[in-house]
Amino acid sequence: MGDGQWWAVSLTEAVGNNKPLSVVCEGEELVLFRNAAGRAFALEDRCPHRRVPLSPGVLTPGGLQCPYHGWTFDGASGVCREIPNLHADERVPSRHAARAFLVAEADGFIHVWRGSGAPTGVLPSAAYRPIGREYSGSAVVNIVHGTYLETMLDGPECLLAFPGVTITDFFLGDPRREGEHLVLDRGGVWKGKGIGPAFVRDHPLVLRTRVPLAGGAIFVELLTAAEVPLVTIFIASTANRRGTTSLNWRGFRHAHHAPGAPFAWRLRRTAGRAPFEVLPEVKGKSIAALRVAPSLELATSRMRQGAECRGEHNE
Amino acid sequence: MSDIAIAEVGAADGSENSRQADWVPIHFDLRDTWFPVAFSADIGTQAVRRIVHAQPYYLWRDRGRLRAAEFRPDQLEPLRRSATAFTGGTGHYPVTERYGYVWAWYGNSDNADLALNPCIPFLPVDGSKIPRYTQRTVRFDAASPLSVENLIDLTHADFLHANAIGDGRCESDIVEVQSTSETVTRTRIVTRKSVAPVMRWIGGVRAKYQDLRAVLHVHLRNNLAISYPSFSSGYAIPNVQPFVPVGRHRSRVDQTNYTVAAPAPFRWLMPRISYVIQPQDNAVLRPQNERYFDADGRRDLSSRFDAPGNRYRLLMRRLAERQRQGDFSYAADANPSADISVVLGMNG
Ligand code: FES
Ligand SMILES: [Fe+2]
Repeated sequence: MGDGQWWAVSLTEAVGNNKPLSVVCEGEELVLFRNAAGRAFALEDRCPHRRVPLSPGVLTPGGLQCPYHGWTFDGASGVCREIPNLHADERVPSRHAARAFLVAEADGFIHVWRGSGAPTGVLPSAAYRPIGREYSGSAVVNIVHGTYLETMLDGPECLLAFPGVTITDFFLGDPRREGEHLVLDRGGVWKGKGIGPAFVRDHPLVLRTRVPLAGGAIFVELLTAAEVPLVTIFIASTANRRGTTSLNWRGFRHAHHAPGAPFAWRLRRTAGRAPFEVLPEVKGKSIAALRVAPSLELATSRMRQGAECRGEHNE
Repeated sequence: MSDIAIAEVGAADGSENSRQADWVPIHFDLRDTWFPVAFSADIGTQAVRRIVHAQPYYLWRDRGRLRAAEFRPDQLEPLRRSATAFTGGTGHYPVTERYGYVWAWYGNSDNADLALNPCIPFLPVDGSKIPRYTQRTVRFDAASPLSVENLIDLTHADFLHANAIGDGRCESDIVEVQSTSETVTRTRIVTRKSVAPVMRWIGGVRAKYQDLRAVLHVHLRNNLAISYPSFSSGYAIPNVQPFVPVGRHRSRVDQTNYTVAAPAPFRWLMPRISYVIQPQDNAVLRPQNERYFDADGRRDLSSRFDAPGNRYRLLMRRLAERQRQGDFSYAADANPSADISVVLGMNG
């Protein structure tokens, strides 16, 4: 594994070729834009001339033009292609460049490579294979990125909702390592059915959350007790500024029939309403009240994974 | 704008900045200078608080006598014992009134000298007959040196202020820089430029083209910018922009746009152009200022158009270095109160 990471930083449809988009990845401000041919680029959102953000700038055939003095930067290399008013025979020095990031666009997301090493591995979104209609969104939530990931294990009901479903905090086992993720199942019940979540004999639903050991790719699945998937969500998360977290997500409802689903669930499906909600705001009170439980495993798993990357062996 | 030639390049070429330590406009705290902290007309018997760097200046009139103190008038007696060296332990700053401004001394009060008070040749010294419509307070969301740099910088006007200032098309455009240890003077000569829309429609200028000779004279210690742009056909619109540092993130500018020689209604409307330009400048200055606190060691890149600004950076650093070594004196080439009407190109 190289020294770096792919991050999904925005939804494909959020970046057009008429206006740049500013995003934050791992606390660093980036600007995303497309050329006329539709190719996406990412630069540091900072002009190397006088440090102003490039994102309020203008897209030109030559790249992105800074709003302050009009230096124009090439999307792929970051090199400054034009300084206004120079004579035709004057050259812009090649060290005049903004920092450029490698971009890969796939599965409805724009990914950037951050790190010193050469890009490796698969894109975070690769495991996300939508079937049918998708529901997508973006938000900045008022919680530290690391805590967001921990909460996804300890109390995803603070971060997500499935209309018609109650997510319980009865963990079905301990988190297990699957590839680069820590995976945990918990019980769920249909709302308004039966005697309530604490006394069901078996949970009719399972919520499975996959939390990354590195990077920000979170996967969430709502399954039947027989592990037939009903809903799949991919949430790309990363640290924004001042202890907040940026989220970009896509999700879909599987075609499978949900046995025992209440009328409201079936109605939503017929009406084409989203079967899930990624909460755009988190409630401090509920998060503070959460007991630390499965997230305890995150630190040890990360340590173990780090050692594997360095090629060490634990007997 | 087209075809800028920079005369007398010297140390102020585009690469100046890469040879030196990085420019940190937020850490300048130059002393022993007069700051125009308020319009005279704004100070009455009620004390107002102004700030220079982080130092409070309470200003009021006591039975007609102007006062500038470290404390509110009612606290002057109880707090006098904690007065700082800025007032020599008296609690009172050296203060004077000229050109419609209250000037207060910032630095060692023993060195306060009226002979160091800058000359503004187009304003009446006693401040009488300066109309209120020429005086306007604006705020820059950046440290003073960064704001001054924005003023010195001509090339941003075509982009950031394109809508207000015009298309910048002209036959020739020449920029020259001169400096002393205490001042930078930038002269811009533009021939046959298309008349700015604002001058054509409300300024009564009927010609299609005009020539411009604009001189900007900046005093480094107190960030005082004195500007004399003269249009022909047209008239001069002399102005003063004192960038008073209010900490490391903000500056206050009590500007005088002395448009009295221009026809009405231009005379009254022109000073209000700040309402359009100011938010545009602040939109870039705000994030820019934050980034000069970054300690990542990446230096600004420059082009030859930055020569005037880079000269300013160099001189500011030299002055700051001298002060760091305890030398607060004015060198032989500096005389802030010298008559600069020739420098500004007044009288043609
Ligand atoms: S700050 Fe970007 S071109 Fe000057
Ligand atoms: Fe400006």
